[in-house]
Amino acid sequence: MSIKSLAVFLSFSVVLIACKKDDPPEEFDRGAMLTNMATAVIKPQLNTCSNKLNDLHTAAQNFVATPDAGALAILKTNFTDAYVSFELIKMFDFGPMMTYAIKASMNTYPTDTSQIQANISSGSYILTALENVPAIGFPSLDYLLYHASETAVIDEFTVGVNASNRKIYLTDITSKMKTEFALMLSAWVNYEAEFVTADGNDVGGSTSILFNEWLKDIELLKNAKIGIPAGQQTGGLTLPHYTEGYYSQISIELAKANVAGLKNVFLGAAGIGFDDYIIDVEAEGTTVSLADNIIAQFDLVTQKLDAIGNPLSDKVDTNPSGVNDAYLEIKKLLTYCKTDVSSILGLLITFQDNDGD
Amino acid sequence: MTAISENKFDFKKLFNIAGWYSSVSAAPLAFYRISFGLLMLFSTIRFMLNGWVHAQYISPTFHFTYYGFEWLPYPSEFGVYALFTTMLVTSLLICLGLFYRFATILFFFSFTYVELLDKANYLNHYYFVNLIAFLLIFIPANRHFSLDAKLGIAKPSHTCAKWNIGILQFQIAIVYIFAGIAKLGSDWLLDAQPLKYWLHTANHLEFFGPLLKQDWVAYVFAWFGCIYDLTIVLFLLMPKTRKIAYVFVVIFHLTTWLLFPIGVFPWVMMVATFIFFSPNFHEAILNRIRRIFSLSKPVEISNFFKPQRRLITFMLSAYILFQITFPFRYLIYDGNLFWTEQGYRFSWRVMLMEKTGYATFYINQNGKEIEINNSDYLTANQEKMMSTQPDMILQFAHYLESAFHDTIIIRHGVEMKFNSPSVHAEVYVTLNSRPHQLFVDKKHNLTQIENNLTARDWLEPFQE
Repeated sequence: MSIKSLAVFLSFSVVLIACKKDDPPEEFDRGAMLTNMATAVIKPQLNTCSNKLNDLHTAAQNFVATPDAGALAILKTNFTDAYVSFELIKMFDFGPMMTYAIKASMNTYPTDTSQIQANISSGSYILTALENVPAIGFPSLDYLLYHASETAVIDEFTVGVNASNRKIYLTDITSKMKTEFALMLSAWVNYEAEFVTADGNDVGGSTSILFNEWLKDIELLKNAKIGIPAGQQTGGLTLPHYTEGYYSQISIELAKANVAGLKNVFLGAAGIGFDDYIIDVEAEGTTVSLADNIIAQFDLVTQKLDAIGNPLSDKVDTNPSGVNDAYLEIKKLLTYCKTDVSSILGLLITFQDNDGD
Repeated sequence: MTAISENKFDFKKLFNIAGWYSSVSAAPLAFYRISFGLLMLFSTIRFMLNGWVHAQYISPTFHFTYYGFEWLPYPSEFGVYALFTTMLVTSLLICLGLFYRFATILFFFSFTYVELLDKANYLNHYYFVNLIAFLLIFIPANRHFSLDAKLGIAKPSHTCAKWNIGILQFQIAIVYIFAGIAKLGSDWLLDAQPLKYWLHTANHLEFFGPLLKQDWVAYVFAWFGCIYDLTIVLFLLMPKTRKIAYVFVVIFHLTTWLLFPIGVFPWVMMVATFIFFSPNFHEAILNRIRRIFSLSKPVEISNFFKPQRRLITFMLSAYILFQITFPFRYLIYDGNLFWTEQGYRFSWRVMLMEKTGYATFYINQNGKEIEINNSDYLTANQEKMMSTQPDMILQFAHYLESAFHDTIIIRHGVEMKFNSPSVHAEVYVTLNSRPHQLFVDKKHNLTQIENNLTARDWLEPFQE
């Protein structure tokens, strides 16, 4: 009996050794996915955002030089373009973007209007100071450019109290955004090699980092963009001024851009993405791929966001069921990603030991 | 050597209680003590250097206590470090065999205390260490090749009672055999899950990577693992197959160590299984150590007293009975064990399931509902563990109940007053590659559900 069992042992080990000679199936290469993410998704989008921020700063400079309706309109267009481009990169909150705290300095909302007013009237401020985090970035521009009618805004920059301070404040902000982003971008060029090389499935691996930040951004989409304004954390009491792009009323446009950006990461643009990773791991003969379910869910979210109508700050009160529909679909998307995708990719969230229970 | 080398393995001997007290060489025990002490020293240092003391025991504000141990006071930051320092010092003392009895008792209590603080940190191999530390308190492993023996703190003896070694072998048998029994399920044997997924995404090994992705490899691993667990102890017991069996022990544990973030467990098992080797083998190792450190070989004395046999027989039998029955307690409950996890811990279910969840908690008072950010209260690891384990879901819900009881909470500038709100959770879970399904329905007011040992009928039924 013992000899028999031993034979079973040995035969297994022989099988294990023998199998090395087999033709391996086409391998999914995390390194290749990361290379694609860096070259086809992250870098192009970072470059676009950087260009948009440069344009934004130029438009702001032009506007303060000649504060008229035409310059304001151009500035506003540039503002929307830059904001939208930012929605496509905010999920890359690691490496240089984390070092430069881009996410917080670009997009902390609701903006602190009294802090902005105080800064403008005093004319002396340190924009990098902690108390100024809600007084800078896109939300501060949103306020400065949109909080009143076009003529009223132009008046503020021409004949209003502290008009010259206001001009300086505006360009100080756009300049800060442009400069910091440029610094971050140049750091990304160096970071890229590191990003692509760390292709393990451990916590320090880029796949885990990218996936976890991507997941966090879907969570932000659910909570910050929709949930909090809709009153999900305040017992149903809506908070319209907590919407993103509250003054410019572009909340839905921004949310849709964000969803498109998140989906683009999932797909790896036209190259290797998380969808391919999932399909690679899935058992042969899977009829409906999880990847397809998720792509469909992304599209459904966009559809439901569209159905809410504009502006979101009004719709949280006038179309609560539409807002709730979108919220639930985002939550479904998040459920897919936090359960099925997390499980299938086997990425770790902590350094701690694990014995699989 | 006296007539203590055993060359034949006889099953019947196991049940011969008088045999438990026969005199055998203490060399295996001495080597076991030394290696256990060293491993604990190493793993405690590793734990501390990795910053896990802070991550697992200091940074969490809420702690998932064990059922029946809720009364255990949570130590201060100083206290936590004091406990780890105690482990550090006592594991070194155990290794040296100095103040052994005192050291084993202190090590057992400090280690167990730390383990009982938060079940989010539960690992089967910590439980194994717990049990070994407990057993060592009663086993005089300090009478041979130890400072206690040298300094006269303990009576030197180059022999010990056979049960001293037998119970340590038994403990290893329990770990393997129950791990093997636990693998006798359709997910493991018929679907090779969760291994199939894990191997697919395991550490990126250039050479083995493509191989690990083939389904049949997962099946080979699954069946090999199961047969290995069920039979390895038998092969280790038989002198004829012992050496080859140990080769398998090394292959098996090195493989798991290479592929999975499993920590020191493989090393614990690779070292612990040495207890199956013959006294000659251990004596040879001890002699080598003697040579390295230029130690003199003591005059061999057999100083073995026949202690209170009846008490020991009773205690050993009770311990053995407990170890054999406790892992089967899940049979009391209906439902899928992987789903309800009623009776899952402390049962040697290792690497058996891939369960991932997403839990959203809601506080509701008079129809006004707020959603909770779990990360406001839990660490990433705690949240991950809680999201799939029913008792932890309840514990967190009850914690939220107390956090929102008669309290004013300010969220986003809005002041909200709570008296005794209901707590709800919507939890989705995926188990071994099945699509996610509802685990906890939001309809339950979790404040009304007691966390106890009864069946968890508040969970949604598992859909195969």
